[in-house]
Amino acid sequence: MLPLCGYPVSAYAEKAGYSDSIHSLREVVVTSNRRPLATVQSLQGPQLQALSSTSIADALKYFAGVQIKDYGGLGGLKTINVRSLGAQHVGVYIDGIRITNAQNGTVDLGKFSLSTLESVSLFNANKLDICQSASEFASGATVYLRTRRPTSDSLSVLGAIGSFHTYRGRVNAQMSRKGWSGFIDGEYLKSKGDYKFRYKSEYEDTVGVRRNSDIEYYRVEGALFKNGFSSHLYCYVSERGVPGGIVRRLSDKYINVGREWDADWFGQASWTHRFTSAHQVLFNAKYTQEYLRYCTDYPENQNTARVNNHYWQKDVYASASYAWSPYRWLSANIGYDARHSWLKADLRNFHTVRRLDQKAVVAMQAQYAGLRLAASMLYQHYRDHTVTHTGAADPLSRFTPSVTLGYSVKGFSFRAWYKKIFRAPTLNDLYYTQVGNRNLKPEYTRQFDLGAEYNYNTSQWSASAQLDGYINSIDNRIVCLPLKGTYSWSMMNYGKTYCRGMNANVSGRYSPGDWTFSLITSLTWQRDLNRTDPESESYDKPICYSPTFSCGITGITGWRWLTMTVSALHVGERMWSYADPEDVLKPYNNIDVKLTGTWRRATASLEINDLLDEQYEHVPRYPMPGRSFTFSLSYSI
Amino acid sequence: MKNFYLRLFICLLAICSAGALHGQEKIILLNEGNWQADNGKMTYFENGRVVSNQWFRDANGYKLGDTPNDIIQINDNLIAISINWSNIVQFITPEGKAVAATEDVPNNRKLATDGRYVYVSSYGHECGTEKGMMTFEKGYVAKIDVNTFKVTDAVEVGYEPEGIAYFNGYLFVANTGGYAFQEDHEYETTVSVIDAATMKVVREVDTRQINLYGKMSQSGQYLCINSPGDYYDIPAATIIFDCKAAIEGKDDDGCFQKLEYASTYNCTTTDGKFYAIGSRFSYYTSEYTFNYVVLDPAKVLESYGADGVEENFPGTVLADLKGLTMPYGIYINPYTGYIYATDAGSFAEAGALLQWSPEGKFLGRHRVYINPAHFLALPPDGHLPSGIEDIAADYLDDNTIYNLQGIRVEHPHPGQVYIRGGKKYICR
Repeated sequence: MLPLCGYPVSAYAEKAGYSDSIHSLREVVVTSNRRPLATVQSLQGPQLQALSSTSIADALKYFAGVQIKDYGGLGGLKTINVRSLGAQHVGVYIDGIRITNAQNGTVDLGKFSLSTLESVSLFNANKLDICQSASEFASGATVYLRTRRPTSDSLSVLGAIGSFHTYRGRVNAQMSRKGWSGFIDGEYLKSKGDYKFRYKSEYEDTVGVRRNSDIEYYRVEGALFKNGFSSHLYCYVSERGVPGGIVRRLSDKYINVGREWDADWFGQASWTHRFTSAHQVLFNAKYTQEYLRYCTDYPENQNTARVNNHYWQKDVYASASYAWSPYRWLSANIGYDARHSWLKADLRNFHTVRRLDQKAVVAMQAQYAGLRLAASMLYQHYRDHTVTHTGAADPLSRFTPSVTLGYSVKGFSFRAWYKKIFRAPTLNDLYYTQVGNRNLKPEYTRQFDLGAEYNYNTSQWSASAQLDGYINSIDNRIVCLPLKGTYSWSMMNYGKTYCRGMNANVSGRYSPGDWTFSLITSLTWQRDLNRTDPESESYDKPICYSPTFSCGITGITGWRWLTMTVSALHVGERMWSYADPEDVLKPYNNIDVKLTGTWRRATASLEINDLLDEQYEHVPRYPMPGRSFTFSLSYSI
Repeated sequence: MKNFYLRLFICLLAICSAGALHGQEKIILLNEGNWQADNGKMTYFENGRVVSNQWFRDANGYKLGDTPNDIIQINDNLIAISINWSNIVQFITPEGKAVAATEDVPNNRKLATDGRYVYVSSYGHECGTEKGMMTFEKGYVAKIDVNTFKVTDAVEVGYEPEGIAYFNGYLFVANTGGYAFQEDHEYETTVSVIDAATMKVVREVDTRQINLYGKMSQSGQYLCINSPGDYYDIPAATIIFDCKAAIEGKDDDGCFQKLEYASTYNCTTTDGKFYAIGSRFSYYTSEYTFNYVVLDPAKVLESYGADGVEENFPGTVLADLKGLTMPYGIYINPYTGYIYATDAGSFAEAGALLQWSPEGKFLGRHRVYINPAHFLALPPDGHLPSGIEDIAADYLDDNTIYNLQGIRVEHPHPGQVYIRGGKKYICR
């Protein structure tokens, strides 16, 4: 199986007999194998489960072009940035339906579990299926999470214990009858997150234990499938501490005491049907509710503001798409989406905001011999309603195109694509008390990509390689800046970015007899330049937090009932301010190891994360946890 | 070529001798850095060049801390710095050497001194004192003994007290109520007057203007207090406050005059006026009104705001200020009259320090660090106070001796300028 080519062959999974900590993965959904046109990287079934990973962020960090921003610890916010477009340009989709957050536009990857997933794929620009919803065209990069469809009945339980007082339990029941299949999956985790950190330099040797970094969550998910019908119910409830940056203090007396509660749930359903070979429809519907409370109003908080704020969000979404394929060489796709979001918060000078977001798309795909063309035009319309102090922003409507051209010959495929897309200002950007700016313009991205890939498959061997060069530019970046001559900050359109980069992936698999060996590598090189102000000293300097070079390598070895995975990730130096050459985040190497053994119905696994115990950061003064161990045992009937 | 080197040599010589001539410029500048990034830095600037942008670290081998917020000189050998997010009041020598530090005053904001004690305003609710832990519902002012570096007393004022000044035995504290946007209380409108000896609030002057937040400058008996308003219905304003009137018990309205200007960044001139620059911004319109004004406090109060506001900045100062990307501080060296301002630029870049001669001739732009904001000039001869030529200060009729900052002096130094009975004299 070629994890990085996007469309895998299923035989390998059965043969390898890989197991994750719970399931025997004896099936892999096979996607009809069209020659790849989109730029995609994917991790499927056994590979995904063989990775040492607790959240989706851990899987995505091995993809080329991906930067994860992580505030450290299990509870720390984890967001993904692809090819330096910014987290808000990355759409994350579960079974084709986008996870949204109207308030801030980003998805905390830490809230989603890998254990119920069949695959995680990253598409730069569009996925390019024949029949897609309009919102699938509406982000700069898209992450697709595909839920696993059970093929047998089973019940399994798992218990895990890990470093920093971490305990996790999970129960999964799944069934498959008469074409229906489904599962219920419940998980509980509690962690103190009291990891040690050390800052050591010429002028500092700070040793400490992370405090107020605990998390406790419940996650309950259920899904039901039949043929073209899929549905998913997801519920996540958590409480966590919100630790601050590690700064100079004389003692531990004044630590951050802020706490955050989340209660999120969504229900979604999707139905697709092909009437004849010429007609296909796709309907999606989703309801989401999110609650967030942030509180620092405690007796022990004697030194900072006593805040107790609540935020409520509701979101209703529906879409309809239709694809028409009159000839073998031509197909057309139209789609319409509507989303209605509500945001309520008990902030001063803030009232309920409603947003109606409508999208329509016309797309077509054509092929002639090895030559293929895909083109789409997306129309988006946003209209807000509010009685907030400043009034609603003006409605926003825009057309944005994308074009992809591909050519395949023998094992080779070549592609070129262009996509222009914007992100609308979020409700926080526009209306947040004393920060929001209702005059914001959308933040535009333009992406050009030129790529090639090669695939080779035999029963014992498979190999693939892919190389993409790209140029991205971002205009009217939405950033928070102080207002000149005041003490107030506000969201503003400020900044241009110009990025040239290269992503490469090489992967291979060799499976002689009882053994399987697979290797997945990725490499990113990019120059991501600030083109905001030609007069400024930071003009043409790299964008903060953006590494020029990063690479990852994952090796998986399987022998009968044993699997061992070693993953190594190198991320180069990143600057975090232009003010001083010392303001850099040091390069780091992260090595994760996972060993899994299966005996009859029981599976045991040992994970070691950050084997080298490197003390590194994604955000200055937010230390990562260093080396940690997790041991888990599961049993299934 | 030879000619070139000769010229270069002459230039260098000229620069050196110029340095030697005005050779009295010793400026400490606090760069706030980024919040929670532990990168507050101290710049030391002497005679036209930046000696170091991490002067504290150079002198002590460790970092200053997170978000330094104010700096004052207490006596010849001692300087205090409030490092807000580190919850530290740091004491250093004028050479930058750390002497003591205390975290007894968490969320400390601004500093004032009478030469014997340091007074610190705090948004916090508890204070570790010699009498034990004191807790307050609102904010407070703490009194630190500079012999022991212990807090001797503290007193509750309004919510989120910011600017603090010492005059003639009393402390004047501008209350903001700045957390009103998050907490369950309203903005404050008062200036608390505290008897510094007893640490009791003796009166609260209601300015009827909310959120007295920002830099507060003092010129003798007068204070220049900024109010950013709420950025919605209440626009920014400046309060010119008369400490003497407040002590003398005049009614509230007789103690201040409100002006329709923002003084987001302000400083005291050597002739007792205030420079005030700032903008009045409204979220309704997203529009700015900038102002760059010179305020004469005595005239403003006398005329009830009708007079005493001018735009007569010396030389190119006004034009240069208008060209700044993001003004972040303004200062005049009280000993020499040299004018300084900082530009925070785009906030991810190093800020800049700009310098002008007292006549307003632009002298240079220097690279400092992120968010350069708070200034302290060191006395050229190392003695506090020293040779200021002129200051408007005819506010006393007893024989108590004060320095030019309005601080009571017990033992005047020979050769220095002091004020006694409302008149300047040179101690012999």
